[in-house]
Amino acid sequence: MSARPKLILSVAAIAATLTALVAFAMPAKTEVASAPQAATTTPKKESDSTADHSKFKELQKNFKTGPEVTEACLICHTEAAKQVQHTKHWTWESKDPKTGQVRGKKNIINNYCTAVLSNEKDCMACHAGYGWKDSSFDFSVQKNVDCLVCHDNTGTYRKLPGDAGHPVYKRREFPPKSGKFVEAVDLQKAAQSIGMPSRTNCGACHFFGGGANGAKHGDMDSSLQHPGKYLDVHMNEKGLNFSCTECHATKSHEVSGSRYNTAAAVTGPAHIRGKADASPAACQSCHGDKPHPAQHARLNQHTDKLACQTCHIPEFARNDIGTEMSWDWSKATIMGPDGKRMVRKDSAGRRAFDSQKGEWRWESHVIPEYRWFNGTSTYKVIGSKIDPSKVVQLSVVGGGPNDPDSRIWPTKVHRGKQPYDVENNYLTVQHTGGEDATALWHNYDWQKAIGTGMKAANLPYSGKFAFVDTELTWPITHMVAPKEDALTCEQCHSKNGRMKDIQGVYMPARDGTHWLDVIGWSLALLTLLGVLIHGAIRIYSSKKEG
Amino acid sequence: MLKVIGGFFLGLVVVGVLAYAFAGSLMFREIESPFGVEETVARIQQNIQNTGNGWALSGLRNPGKAVQNDGGNVLPVMMVEACSTKYSAPILKDDSVRFLSILMPCKVSVYKKNDGKTYIGMMNAGLMGKMFGPMVGEVMGHVAEDQEKFVKFDPSKPAPEMIKGTPGAAAGGAGASAAGGC
Repeated sequence: MSARPKLILSVAAIAATLTALVAFAMPAKTEVASAPQAATTTPKKESDSTADHSKFKELQKNFKTGPEVTEACLICHTEAAKQVQHTKHWTWESKDPKTGQVRGKKNIINNYCTAVLSNEKDCMACHAGYGWKDSSFDFSVQKNVDCLVCHDNTGTYRKLPGDAGHPVYKRREFPPKSGKFVEAVDLQKAAQSIGMPSRTNCGACHFFGGGANGAKHGDMDSSLQHPGKYLDVHMNEKGLNFSCTECHATKSHEVSGSRYNTAAAVTGPAHIRGKADASPAACQSCHGDKPHPAQHARLNQHTDKLACQTCHIPEFARNDIGTEMSWDWSKATIMGPDGKRMVRKDSAGRRAFDSQKGEWRWESHVIPEYRWFNGTSTYKVIGSKIDPSKVVQLSVVGGGPNDPDSRIWPTKVHRGKQPYDVENNYLTVQHTGGEDATALWHNYDWQKAIGTGMKAANLPYSGKFAFVDTELTWPITHMVAPKEDALTCEQCHSKNGRMKDIQGVYMPARDGTHWLDVIGWSLALLTLLGVLIHGAIRIYSSKKEG
Repeated sequence: MLKVIGGFFLGLVVVGVLAYAFAGSLMFREIESPFGVEETVARIQQNIQNTGNGWALSGLRNPGKAVQNDGGNVLPVMMVEACSTKYSAPILKDDSVRFLSILMPCKVSVYKKNDGKTYIGMMNAGLMGKMFGPMVGEVMGHVAEDQEKFVKFDPSKPAPEMIKGTPGAAAGGAGASAAGGC
């Protein structure tokens, strides 16, 4: 062989090898794509109501208490309180129609503030009622239904912990010793400024769940009060400007779209809300189950496995507020060097440690964890047995790959460490809020706090407690990003993509057989080599002949 | 002769391919942070303030905000800006290399990726400096040494508060960054 063909062959071989190496070396292209508070009031739209409540004689009174306002409301809205009393906003209880499990705030234990029992005076700041301070609360008294918490349109209605659900009647410092004051609610003004629930009303509790802005849900915080398009395409203040009730359509005061009964797999075309067998809060209610245009028909083939939220909420807590990712109660009662309560914030100014409550970790722009979900979650309720040798799942999202009602959903998993009874093997109920001698946040004494809490729960307490790791899983459904920011194919269809932990479904580019890959790549390389050798021989032959 | 010329061109091709493949990673560094975005930023800011050698914070930028204002989303990106007149002055005084002012202030980028982890991106000041003569090489060598201190964390220390904006620059205007060292 002469030198020239050798050289050409060598250059070609090196070029092919380098090209292959560079191609392998290049990374895969990725497209980057407390207390309930009165959130900032939304700009008041001109009412199209046929009734001006400020002109009603019944509302021209100097109301002293919330129940007085309700009594006035019920003069005209005779059935309203009875309707509310059938809802979860009143009972804080919910029965799973599939499993029969009785859940609801009243019964479950979570890894935020843990349990309502024995802490009613604080927790009921978010109850749609007045006066629930202990187990003696009468759920049949109509005047104790709180109309204003959902219908006040002044944006000034505030309920604080410690008042058992009553609004602020007297100007007071809150939080205590903070130097900040909460004004007394002008009940007459509130009663005369009635309207459909606004984002302010819903957000007063749902944005601040878990005791801080954004703490609990991850997809709901005060940034949804005035959201931009990037945060939520539906609620975008300069766009569709949806209020919460636009999706959470309500019938007889029953608000649709509860996480306790999520419509995880809605099929069929879009329909008009209010249809008896439909879930108004589901995406499919407006978009149907084939929402993508014909040129993206492939995407529609994903809807039998993926929830809309999976692609269209690529991250949650997409703001500086962030959301709480863990709460470690075992650090509570650790005092500062001076023996006094110690409080510390994280780098972004969010609560990070408090001697009363323990240690928190926050995160913004959280990448969800993905789970199969069929709309039914099973909860740990007060008294449920646990296995402390494992991480305790406080809510197990139901479903799986073989369940036709299941879809892959984005979730927030909130990790916690909380006390349990080491002999009886159940999570403990602790009395935290209040100024009495057994309240944890007052006396920093776990034994007393658990003793009182377990007594209220009517459960025996062995007197011995320890801390166990827990997880609480929340399906994510708010903060829908613009379609341009939806997940791209390769964000899931790759080895370490978003779906890396999802079992039971074959995913191209994620799943494969090692040897099949080796054989395939070998064949490709051999083909390339064959072409190069063939070309080289052709060149060599032509030169030899010529 | 043909062999020599062929070999030369082959060498050029190989060097070109290698440069294409690796120059980016040589000029810039990426390291994983054990902390979240905000805490990483805050710890870098604290380290910068503790490094000495005239280093001072000159700003904190969030390029993602502009994308948000335009209705889109990107994962968080924060750029910590710092400057040391001890190092900037010699370069800014020399007409032949004043164009390097484009690299000022010194930036450390902190960002989250799709794997949910936080990363730190930095310019490889030492290597880049060597491309612009002995004076710049020496100055940038010192900058590179200090950069290492910026990203050395002590997890046993509590997370400091993130310093937003430009310290001492409330008045704005041309003198706004004076307090930031540049």
